[in-house]
Amino acid sequence: MNARLLTSTAATLVALAFAASGANAAGKWDGADDLPTSPLACDASGAAAPEAAKPYDGGQPTNPPDKAGKEITLVDVPKLIGIGYFNATSKGMQDAAKELGNVKVTTDGPTEAKIDEQIKFIDNYITRGVDGILFAANDPVAIAPVLKKALSKGIHVVGYDANSTPDAREWFVNQAQFNGIGKAMMDSMAKEIGEDGSFAIVTSTFTTPNQARWIAEMQAYAAKCHPKMNWLETVEAQEDNNLSFNQATTLINKYGDKLKGLFGMTSVATPASAEAVTKAGLCGKVAVVGLATPNAMKPYVNAGCVKSVVLWNPVDLGYAATYVMRAVVDGKLKPGATSVEAGKLGKLNVVNGSEILLGPPFIYNKSNVDQFDF
Amino acid sequence: MSLAAEAPARAIPWWLKRHETLLAIILVIALAGLGAANERFLTVDNLLNQGRLMTEIGLIALPMTFVIITGGIDLSVGAVVGLCAIMLGYSWKNFGFPLPVAIVFALAVGGVAGFVNGLVITRIKVPPLIMTIATLALYRGLAEGISQAHSVRGYPEWFYVLGQGDLFGVPTQLIVLMILMLVAGVALDRTTFGRTLYAIGANETAARFSALSVDRVKLVVYTLSGLASGLAAIVLVSRVTTTRMDMGMGYELDVIAAVVLGGTSIFGGSGTIWGTAIGLAMIQLLKNGLALTGVKGDATIVVIGVALILSVLIASSLQRRRD
Repeated sequence: MNARLLTSTAATLVALAFAASGANAAGKWDGADDLPTSPLACDASGAAAPEAAKPYDGGQPTNPPDKAGKEITLVDVPKLIGIGYFNATSKGMQDAAKELGNVKVTTDGPTEAKIDEQIKFIDNYITRGVDGILFAANDPVAIAPVLKKALSKGIHVVGYDANSTPDAREWFVNQAQFNGIGKAMMDSMAKEIGEDGSFAIVTSTFTTPNQARWIAEMQAYAAKCHPKMNWLETVEAQEDNNLSFNQATTLINKYGDKLKGLFGMTSVATPASAEAVTKAGLCGKVAVVGLATPNAMKPYVNAGCVKSVVLWNPVDLGYAATYVMRAVVDGKLKPGATSVEAGKLGKLNVVNGSEILLGPPFIYNKSNVDQFDF
Repeated sequence: MSLAAEAPARAIPWWLKRHETLLAIILVIALAGLGAANERFLTVDNLLNQGRLMTEIGLIALPMTFVIITGGIDLSVGAVVGLCAIMLGYSWKNFGFPLPVAIVFALAVGGVAGFVNGLVITRIKVPPLIMTIATLALYRGLAEGISQAHSVRGYPEWFYVLGQGDLFGVPTQLIVLMILMLVAGVALDRTTFGRTLYAIGANETAARFSALSVDRVKLVVYTLSGLASGLAAIVLVSRVTTTRMDMGMGYELDVIAAVVLGGTSIFGGSGTIWGTAIGLAMIQLLKNGLALTGVKGDATIVVIGVALILSVLIASSLQRRRD
């Protein structure tokens, strides 16, 4: 290899990149949307920026029986049963029920994520008679009529993981807000590649709503808390395994030594990026941080190639949902409340009117990834 | 259908040996058992609600009975439900059709989808199983492609009357199902059309030589199958207030299970609408009754599977006695 040629090429690239980043400083990162952002505080506490108080917009059951402090029977109807993710939420519910002592919760639901099956399950439990329904909706609108029916029969309704229209349930336990994910992603990356590192993003498409929101929040948080970090490029890879791998490989070849980190914005892009880094023999030189499920990332995390996978903890999610339901039945969580006690998770905050925020995202790493199976 | 000839030879009256009668007896026993196990099961409220939930499957099961009696099968019905649901939402939202026109349009799409099945099956002689597996993929693919996996929501309030409303205290769609069931039952029992279906299923070649318009009748039953799937799609969208491209996925198996449990021979030539009605009610009420008694979803499927196997065993042993 001609060292001089390489140096000059690198120099040109750096110059180009500077020019590009100069131009980008004003504009937004590719793949971010135009909606207003609300970056969290930079410190580790993750204190939420004070939210503009939104009035309670949930529904209320009609004449629910007063069961404060008494034993209650709950049913949990997730999107589907028999997959690791909802096994984990179910485990969290059982943990909470055991701790509380006066809650009985069973998980039952369709074996495929089909909304009309899910409706039938909920309908049957309404007829059978339960004190409360926990749900993760397969469709936010389609599930609303049956949930409203439950409310009209005096049954308490709390959602988790996947929301319904607000007026069809009392509360929703929100596992992660966009700004929380944005902060966790940028903080993890900064920890791995330093405050002046350069990184690229592999996303699904520039217009996919969730991904666009996360990227916008990452940019806002980076501008506030990691101003020297350098964004190189965002590439689209659909949610296609092969394309994600190719795009990540292209980024590695294109930016060479300059590229210190890759963000994977989808559960497909993150493992594919990790695979690309592994295949290029750059483990430890190019960091991969992203949203993904533990099972997909275990090989890379255990091999030391990936240090942080950002997601939430589904066990905590199920645990929190059960505590929220208990608090609702006991009259401790009423419309207008700003927080709720949730056992070992401490005090959880109310956001967006009738949602309860689980807390900052969970970071899976070598020390804990093997405890999860989903 | 040589039941009457045997009657004098045995003490048991002929109607007792009919599959439908046996099934009805089993149904009553099961209902009594489940009713005893749970006081919330045998209530008017619950039974009517179950009627509401089973209507979509029931609507498709009627023409499916016709199709199976002719010795055919239609596996594309679930996909047609998805396609029609999407066409309803899409034509209303994106083409700007008024909702009544969109409803007619969705029904027409269902009819055309069924007609295409029938046309290829009769003209090109593709076996129904192969053809409808192909269109199962094709129609579901179209639904996915047209909708781009987007849902359509926000239908006007009056549209929900069909899927969520009541008429004289009975769910609207259940009344529709009852009327159509009566029409289909009479058509099968008392018309030349019905007789032709049995003739085709019993011996297609003989039917052809008897100058029956085999191809035209087949074309009609597959078109009916598509139309009924379209109607089921509209009822379903109205019931769940939203259009999704995955609607109706797996319906084909639920429908065929109800028809076969009702005593229609999968080889064609025999079966009744009344049997299908009992099979349909049996599956729905078993599922509901077991759920209310505390049996979980996965175990319920096992029970349904066992019920199906038993029904087939009973049917074939009856068949042997007759022969």
